[in-house]
Amino acid sequence: MDQAFAQRRRRDLIVAACLAGLAALVPLFVKDVYYQNIMVLTLMYAALSQSWNILSGYCGQISLGHALYFGLGAYTTALLYTKFGVLPWFGMVAGGLISALVAMVLGYPCFRLRGHYFVIATIVIAEITLLLFQNWDWAGAALGITIPMKRDSWLTFQFARSKLPYFYFALALACIAWFVTWWLEDSKWGYWWRAVKDNPDAAESLGVVVFNSKMGAAAVSAFLVAVGGGFYAQFVSYIDPESVMGFQFSLLMALPAVLGGIGTLWGPALGAVILIPLTELTRSYIGGSGRGVDLIVYGGLIIAISLARPQGLVSLFARKPKADARPVREAVAS
Amino acid sequence: MSITRRNVLLGATAAAALGPIAARAQASEVKIGVIYPFSGASAQIGVDAQRAFETAAEIINNKYDYDLPLARTEGLPGLGGAKVKLIFADHQADPQKGRAETERLITQENVCAVIGSYQSAVAVTASQTCERYQVPYISADNSSPSLHRRGLKYYFRAAPHDEMFSKAMFDFFDAMKKKGTKIETLALFHEDTIFGTDSGNSQLKLANERGYKVVADIKYRANSPSLSAEVQQLKAANADVLMPSSYTTDGILLVKTMAELGYKPNAIVAQDAGFSEKALYDAVGDKLEGVISRGSFSLDLAAKRPMVGKINDMFKAKSGKDLNDFSSRQFMGLIVMADAINRAKSTDGEKIRDALVATDMPGEQTIMPWKRVKFDESGQNNDADPVLLQYVGGKFVTIFPEQAAVAQAIWPMK
Repeated sequence: MDQAFAQRRRRDLIVAACLAGLAALVPLFVKDVYYQNIMVLTLMYAALSQSWNILSGYCGQISLGHALYFGLGAYTTALLYTKFGVLPWFGMVAGGLISALVAMVLGYPCFRLRGHYFVIATIVIAEITLLLFQNWDWAGAALGITIPMKRDSWLTFQFARSKLPYFYFALALACIAWFVTWWLEDSKWGYWWRAVKDNPDAAESLGVVVFNSKMGAAAVSAFLVAVGGGFYAQFVSYIDPESVMGFQFSLLMALPAVLGGIGTLWGPALGAVILIPLTELTRSYIGGSGRGVDLIVYGGLIIAISLARPQGLVSLFARKPKADARPVREAVAS
Repeated sequence: MSITRRNVLLGATAAAALGPIAARAQASEVKIGVIYPFSGASAQIGVDAQRAFETAAEIINNKYDYDLPLARTEGLPGLGGAKVKLIFADHQADPQKGRAETERLITQENVCAVIGSYQSAVAVTASQTCERYQVPYISADNSSPSLHRRGLKYYFRAAPHDEMFSKAMFDFFDAMKKKGTKIETLALFHEDTIFGTDSGNSQLKLANERGYKVVADIKYRANSPSLSAEVQQLKAANADVLMPSSYTTDGILLVKTMAELGYKPNAIVAQDAGFSEKALYDAVGDKLEGVISRGSFSLDLAAKRPMVGKINDMFKAKSGKDLNDFSSRQFMGLIVMADAINRAKSTDGEKIRDALVATDMPGEQTIMPWKRVKFDESGQNNDADPVLLQYVGGKFVTIFPEQAAVAQAIWPMK
């Protein structure tokens, strides 16, 4: 059994490396900036959703306020660059650290809440921060921050027309988020998280430090999401509170993971690969009419997928359950 | 010549080779990108905008006897009668999507110019993208003053911005004071997004400069479920003029709450937005007899310029509505852009930009109460005079400035 598990993990790693290698080649064939833009967004959402999945999927603490960390990352990067001239590379790391810290400070009271109460708390805190930023004059308030355009450079991570640098950064971020998840899955933390998700009381009785493991998951998740936020600020080169901290962002981060398979290694990436191009293409090619046809198509497809595969699209790839893989209870009963 | 396989092939090859040449010789279309919210909370704005742009395109592409640039000719004479073709794109009020759609319009649809965008936040990224591709961008209806102060070369705005609107209000107060009306204290009431914040700031600044006393400056949360506390404050301050900057739903709630709490100011001078929307007057119009709002358009112009009425009829046939502050600016946005493309005699971004810089369109050749259309070095038209309108007997009449006014202001309001 252990051997089979180790084998599966090795196979996952090889498949991921192959997919990343193939993805890296795609821009050589797809030169159109519009499609490249969609690929950048897809990879970014794959990374964000993968990070969200660590706290909400593996550890089971559903957060609908991750836009907070995304926004903090975006704002830290943009403010450090425009006000103090700090290069975005450092800004992204700083944003990540600040977000991880904030996640733990907020987690301290909030992780005592369970189930729906925790979800509500995450939404409320993100909304409060949104309001604070909308009224914080130094940070641009409702007007937002425009990142001044200079010459194309890797140093300031600015490129006027080329999408390739952004593409490779987003690809790297998605790979890192995936690898972190892969690595944590088989670590002590990974097992603790799944135990906490299944039954916190039982986990506690077995010696899992429930509170600490929730805090750890929140910090890792917030750090990665904030780096994504910093990337977004550089990519769009303009941010305002509504566009980086709005509630819809929290949902957009959760949706790929939920659609692809929550709490699974491949779910978020698979969800993003289907969801993001679908959103973008339907809007661009059938959205100009003002009749909302694109949203109807989009919503209809999501409903169809969730009806057909309520456990997530990843389950399509699952092997047939073996005879010995029956749930414990059933096995005992028979 | 006998019909052999070889000859057919030859003919086909020749036709294929000549095809592109024939197509190029016609050059029958000039594509212009139009980027608006077509889904989400402000979808209705996008749908109305589409009708306004289509009306303008119809006038450009066909012959009409209006004293408007390009109306009397078919298509763009500067480009051999090429027709204007509009490509609409939906930005869903999201700056990131605005940027991506602008990029798509430029690289895939090959538009030679872009017009947008209702939300100022989207105008920031859309115009920035245009700058990068050296394609001109016209803000038809974005009114945030920060937009033309970014040093962009390809950004233009023919319509007034919020500071010009606020200035018109204070010019009006000054004029009323000269006539002996008592206006000393003001109460500012504005919502907390870009629009309200900018508007409140510029009003406060102007009030201080011109010696009006601001007795209440209340910023409230947009889409608030209740405004009772705020209205109590306004009532206690009891200023000579109440100056709200609110979108439609907040405006309705404000007027209802004022009626409930029995607060009746001498005058309300509103910063457009909700106060020029039909929905607000449908809901609480009976309580608003005599309210004054700024605008950049007035149907009263139809009396002086008959074409305004005719164009309004065309728009009404498409949309079922009269031209308002937004649709009139959108209409003019396309006219100004098409006029520049026509003079540039080219679809090259830089040449169109040069033509836009050289624009000098007399006010009489527009449907607006403007002096003229001429851009300063930042791309802003400073001769776009706003108007003040008063709601009397179920419709708006122009009361300021003098040259556009058709009636005297009723002060205090009923």
